[in-house]
Amino acid sequence: MAKIYVVTSGKGGVGKTTITANIGCALASFGEKVCLIDADVGLKNLDIAMGLENRVVHTILDVVNGKVSPKEALVRHKQFKELHLLAASQIATKEMLSPEDMKRITSELYNDFDFIIVDSPAGIERGFRNAIAPAERALVITTPELPAITDADRVIGLLDNAGIREENVRLIINRFKARMVKRGDMLTTDDIKENLAVDLMGIIPDSEDIIVSSNRGIPVILNGNKGRNSVGRVFENIASRLRGEMLSIDKDLETTPNKGFLELIKRIFGRN
Amino acid sequence: MFFGLFRRKKKKEGSRKDAKDRLQAIVSGRRHSVPVREVISQEVVGTPDKDMLGQIKRYVAQRFKVEEENVRVQLEEHNGYVVIITNVVFH
Repeated sequence: MAKIYVVTSGKGGVGKTTITANIGCALASFGEKVCLIDADVGLKNLDIAMGLENRVVHTILDVVNGKVSPKEALVRHKQFKELHLLAASQIATKEMLSPEDMKRITSELYNDFDFIIVDSPAGIERGFRNAIAPAERALVITTPELPAITDADRVIGLLDNAGIREENVRLIINRFKARMVKRGDMLTTDDIKENLAVDLMGIIPDSEDIIVSSNRGIPVILNGNKGRNSVGRVFENIASRLRGEMLSIDKDLETTPNKGFLELIKRIFGRN
Repeated sequence: MFFGLFRRKKKKEGSRKDAKDRLQAIVSGRRHSVPVREVISQEVVGTPDKDMLGQIKRYVAQRFKVEEENVRVQLEEHNGYVVIITNVVFH
């Protein structure tokens, strides 16, 4: 029986889809059966983030229209056989899907997976309501900037209204810049946690590796980023926590890329 | 001017404190869960009309001692309930 999570944020562009794809891969790398659902109908991106855009035959709209069953519409990942995607349709609007549709779809997949993760669209309107409808737990994504944090705060309130209590909501801080924090120019994780009153599930450092892997359509953990100091390790840490392991959040900060003297020399000589 | 080049730059205070203060100010008054203890059925309330909105406006204006034009009343549907949202401008 699956644990159903929604990945949401309120604000757009904070990294929901990239994080959903990478957490899905990390969970699958641990042998978990994972189904990712793209609820961003009309703008679909999750298939692109996973490099599966050419494999999508049926979309969530085909399921809603009764053309195929949810299982028939799933696309299996190339490397991880236990990772599946239910893609969104681009030629549709969010209004063509209802919260009841989402509940029905997830209930049909419930017994076949360990994790069902719904990627929510930005905003707090219909698409958001569709995405949160079947979820029991939520991962709220924010970056360390005020507009994103205040939107996350609003979303946490709305999740509470929708019956997802604060104890089932976890926060992921994306694009964290340790150097700016050290300089006193960025909010610390404690500042954010204190104001949102929600526990952390992970801190993802700002990393060029994520953009590179996104360009290639290869999730970051599969793009040679599995080393001790790599950003891929953070997604593995998050996956471990989702599986119930008690892993300290400080582990995520250990992966912050080292920009020391050697890195500077490498950059000067064009080796980096 | 030449010696000025070697003068240690006065360290500027980081923007974290500003961000923290602003975040606290924004968040403190925003998210609060209002437990719904009593739900009045639609048969009792009837269909919300201009008169009902006017009554709410008058009550809120009296309660907070402000002019009626400083009170805005809005009705929103959440999960099958009608939620009354009132905004009061005090200044």
